Amino acid sequence: MENASLVGLSRQMSLQREMEVVANNVANIDTNGFKADFSLFEEYLMPGARDGNFRVADSPVSFVRDRGTLIDLNQGPLQRTGSPLDVAINGDGFLVIRTPQGERYTRNGALEISPQGELVTSEGYQVLGEGGPIAFQNQDTGITINQEGTVSVKDPSNSTVAIIRGQLRVVSFAQAQRLQKEGGSTFSGPADMPPSPSTKSKVVQGALEKSNVRPIIEMSRMIEVSRSYAMIANLLQSQGDLHKASIQQLADVPTS
Amino acid sequence: MLALYTAASGMAAQALAVQVISNNIANLSTTGYKRQRAEFQDLLYDHVRQVGTQSSNQGNILPVGIELGLGVKTVGTPRLMTQGNLSSTSNSLDLAVQGDGFFKILMPDGSFGYTRDGSFNLDAQGRIVTANGNVVQPGITVPPTASSITINQQGQVSVTIPGTTTPSVLGQINLTRFINEAGLQAIGDNLLVETPASGSPQDGLPMQNGYGNIQQGNLEQSNVDAVVEMTNLITAQRSYEMNSKVITATDQMLQTNNNMHT
Repeated sequence: MENASLVGLSRQMSLQREMEVVANNVANIDTNGFKADFSLFEEYLMPGARDGNFRVADSPVSFVRDRGTLIDLNQGPLQRTGSPLDVAINGDGFLVIRTPQGERYTRNGALEISPQGELVTSEGYQVLGEGGPIAFQNQDTGITINQEGTVSVKDPSNSTVAIIRGQLRVVSFAQAQRLQKEGGSTFSGPADMPPSPSTKSKVVQGALEKSNVRPIIEMSRMIEVSRSYAMIANLLQSQGDLHKASIQQLADVPTS
Repeated sequence: MLALYTAASGMAAQALAVQVISNNIANLSTTGYKRQRAEFQDLLYDHVRQVGTQSSNQGNILPVGIELGLGVKTVGTPRLMTQGNLSSTSNSLDLAVQGDGFFKILMPDGSFGYTRDGSFNLDAQGRIVTANGNVVQPGITVPPTASSITINQQGQVSVTIPGTTTPSVLGQINLTRFINEAGLQAIGDNLLVETPASGSPQDGLPMQNGYGNIQQGNLEQSNVDAVVEMTNLITAQRSYEMNSKVITATDQMLQTNNNMHT
């Protein structure tokens, strides 16, 4: 095959991956605390063409390859829900949850209470406070979570004071880009990047952080991807036609 | 291409969201109904190129990897147990709970159901029953001669018997709380039943230890907010459409491949 075809194919392969990234973003347009992904491409220079027949000494061929997907860590919009167990984080922080695989981080603050009275995620993982899981008693009412993350309930005997049940652990990371998506709206951090307490985050009770996927951007990217894909296909087609024509014409031996 | 299945998972999730929204809207004026919402999470990721691996022997580390997500899943449809508005009916057996707690109902099979719907009546034996004829716990029988039933905020039921001047106390309506109210299971007829997720029922007296108070002559309306539901419906419909567009675009890409001729 000719170099042009190989270059075209490299682009088509990366476009397919980008389409998968777009599809995942659009599928998670309504997922609380979801962070969109972006594809990064880079040029890959091949010093000489693979196809020896067409080798020109001073013209390296450049291919495209997808280098990675970048997590868009921008704040998603906050939606008021009025439910006391919904918390959104305004800022760069993450909630810490305890999963069977270890500590994980999430921005999805749609929380519940377990049968044991502990604050858990929708999947039943404990939400960790500064001193471990946060537990409520049977008679607790009026759960309040302030912007520092202090969880308190009403004192039944004295309505002017609150009983503190715990303090939500809100952490941030030096290089949040290195977090890895684990599914279930959770992230895991590498061992050499320990979480540190977030100083720039505020906890908002009664609100949820919606997905930060921007529908118009995703639709535009989708159109761009499918059009580029078709364009490359045209290019490959004309390369093929060229090849075909040259073979036919060169093989056309005069019969006279 | 995986994008097809990823987008299909998005369409399925939005279809479910519309299902939940339509049930909320259908129950806009159901007494004691608590609205639900669909909650989604992203599915697992295909880590094509692991972030943080070494890109050279000199210890350079990949700052970003390639992570391809495989779509979305529904994780639950929790019920939001916020207080609904009270509407005055001036019917003496219409009760509303302001605050936490459910009425406990004895069901025909002997188990207990829990409800916030306090539109009660008297049956032929004078017992306080729900609209379906199930007895409110603990059972209270009102004598046929009694008039003017009064139920105070603490749940004490008293009536006036003709020929007497002081009202006589018939009994006490209790409330039941659960540590995780969202873990109760709905069985229809405005009834919820206990599950392993809800924790065990805690019976108690109204207005004590965090239990709500009882408002006679009122009914708790559904906590569905029509405006919120309509906005959610629009969002869900548009998201559904967008996911179908992704399927179309992916399909076009595959079609492009098929149309190449040799």
